[in-house]
Amino acid sequence: MRSIDIHAHIAPLAASHLPEGQTWHGFTRQEMNGRQFLVQGDKRQWLHPAYSLNADERIAYMDSVDVDVQVLTTWVGMYNYDLPGDVGAGIARECNDYVAELTRSHPERFSGMATLPMQDVNAAVAELERAVNELGLKGAQIADHVNNKTLDHEDFLPFWSAAEELGALIFFHQEGDDTIVKPRDTKGWAIDNSIGNLSDRVVTFATLVFGGVLDRFPDLKVCLAHGGGFTCFGAGRLDRGWQVRSEARELGANIPSTYLDKVYYDCLTHSEPVLRYMIDTAGIDRIFLGSDYPYDMGIDEPTAWVNSLESLTQDEKDAILWKNLERVLGV
Amino acid sequence: MRSIDIHAHVTPQSYIKAMKEGQVWHGVGPGPLDIEPQLEWTPEQRIKDMDSLGVDVQVASTGAQFYYYGGDAQVIAAMHRECNDEVYQMTIDHPDRFKGLAQIPMQNVDLAIAELDRCVNQLGMAGAMIDDKVNGKTFDEPEFLPLWKAAEQMGAVFLIHQGGGTLVAPRTRSYHLPNTIGNLVDRAVTFASFVMGGVMDACPDLKICLAHGGGYACYGVGRMDRSWDVGRLPQIPQPPSAYLSRFYYDCLTHSESALRMLIDMAGIDKVVFGTDWPFDMQIDWPVAWVLSLESLTQDEKEAILWKNMEKLLGMSSD
Repeated sequence: MRSIDIHAHIAPLAASHLPEGQTWHGFTRQEMNGRQFLVQGDKRQWLHPAYSLNADERIAYMDSVDVDVQVLTTWVGMYNYDLPGDVGAGIARECNDYVAELTRSHPERFSGMATLPMQDVNAAVAELERAVNELGLKGAQIADHVNNKTLDHEDFLPFWSAAEELGALIFFHQEGDDTIVKPRDTKGWAIDNSIGNLSDRVVTFATLVFGGVLDRFPDLKVCLAHGGGFTCFGAGRLDRGWQVRSEARELGANIPSTYLDKVYYDCLTHSEPVLRYMIDTAGIDRIFLGSDYPYDMGIDEPTAWVNSLESLTQDEKDAILWKNLERVLGV
Repeated sequence: MRSIDIHAHVTPQSYIKAMKEGQVWHGVGPGPLDIEPQLEWTPEQRIKDMDSLGVDVQVASTGAQFYYYGGDAQVIAAMHRECNDEVYQMTIDHPDRFKGLAQIPMQNVDLAIAELDRCVNQLGMAGAMIDDKVNGKTFDEPEFLPLWKAAEQMGAVFLIHQGGGTLVAPRTRSYHLPNTIGNLVDRAVTFASFVMGGVMDACPDLKICLAHGGGYACYGVGRMDRSWDVGRLPQIPQPPSAYLSRFYYDCLTHSESALRMLIDMAGIDKVVFGTDWPFDMQIDWPVAWVLSLESLTQDEKEAILWKNMEKLLGMSSD
């Protein structure tokens, strides 16, 4: 039995251990109400205490929950698409060097994904090339939008072209509370997270499909975090929209539900029937183990959870736990 | 076999007439009339179409474009009274074919209660269709509690149906996504607002029907439960999934597997027939569609097509 987790976050120790009074790419570290934050201007990003763990401490945790390999993605506080491109590029390089170092020092336990300065597409392409070709990272994690531009925007065509060429896996994950369900739209209660994350992911699927990105780049590897959000369940209404609205058919070649098995998903659904639904609509070969370590909205014991699901066969569990990611990433 | 459609819209003939004559109608217009041809049909033409579709009864609601919650409450209250009188007339002229859902001026809760009371208790309507939000306010706001209490007392049903822009629109307006994704997001947020805001606990007999199959509510409830598990929702006694069966849902999913999941999660007695007549996002042959679904038993099909609605509306099953 193996298990490989596509959805596990990390931050460079240089950021999480930033000494008081020093700056890191313009950020200072501040404590508020017992929590540590990286602060720059109006930005205030919570540093999860787990980001202070060193590699051995992290591996001890992984052992305790039977996770063999984490495919490391940085914490989304590293996106910073709102900052100038050169600042973003500097942060991305440091993150990627840090993750690459872990994959070299512990090749049996860590694989890695890049952070990219998506606000500067040329710089993002250059960093993705460096991360994949020189550092051996497997792809990159990006947000569902870049300063409110969805990823079907023509500005990103060079990015998709490069990602396809490099064989890089692009993992979609929202930036914090920056989903379409804003905290101001509700009374709080984490609805911006519980509904918002899942909503953003179906918008991403739809814009890539309706926008023709998946047609233009047929070998592109995209993984949608949080089980792809509402994608699989919502495909019926997307199909109806495609059928009756000409503006929905301008760019995408085929009816949206036929793309469900062209992308990948993690299993972070917090629901057995939802995971079963994804398997039945997208296919068992499209789903990876994803825990969202170290957050409270993650799966506490991801390997044990998958193994406990009565509606899945052992082959299906193995596919999700490790076989699919081993095949797709070559890890 | 009967079929009762909870999701079928009306455009007021008084509005159509005013626009054609270049008149102002309750502060609206004058302006060009830009509506689907079917929306101009008389009730008799509508019945012919219902006959061709196999729909026996429409619970008719004046369309969502007539919410006007941003308008002056008194002006819109008068507009809504006229809308409701017209739907009432349909139910009087064709009692076997039409039931009614009211428009109510949600920008003023007292006026909304008064109009709901008139429509339900005097005009015999089933309840009201309302938006997912009122000028940015969600339905957990305490100011709406008197409305829920009054509706509970009256036995009125609310059909929740988005009006203008959904939450998707600020991100993208492309590819019809504000509708095809946005409607379903907004409905999940409304489910969460009612549940997490304590409305369902405060009003145990409140009847809420979430249009468009409740959107993403049932599929997304696992993550809402996780929020409850980790202590982010200390204000409710049960996890959100425990409330799924407190709501009704129409069957407008455009997906057999989604409908099957809705039945399995909320219960077969909570799913009612809804078509979105006569708009392009409707189910084209709705009765035939339900009857064609291989994963549903005959009992389940009949529950959806008419039995649940008869119970919900207290109609006799003669």
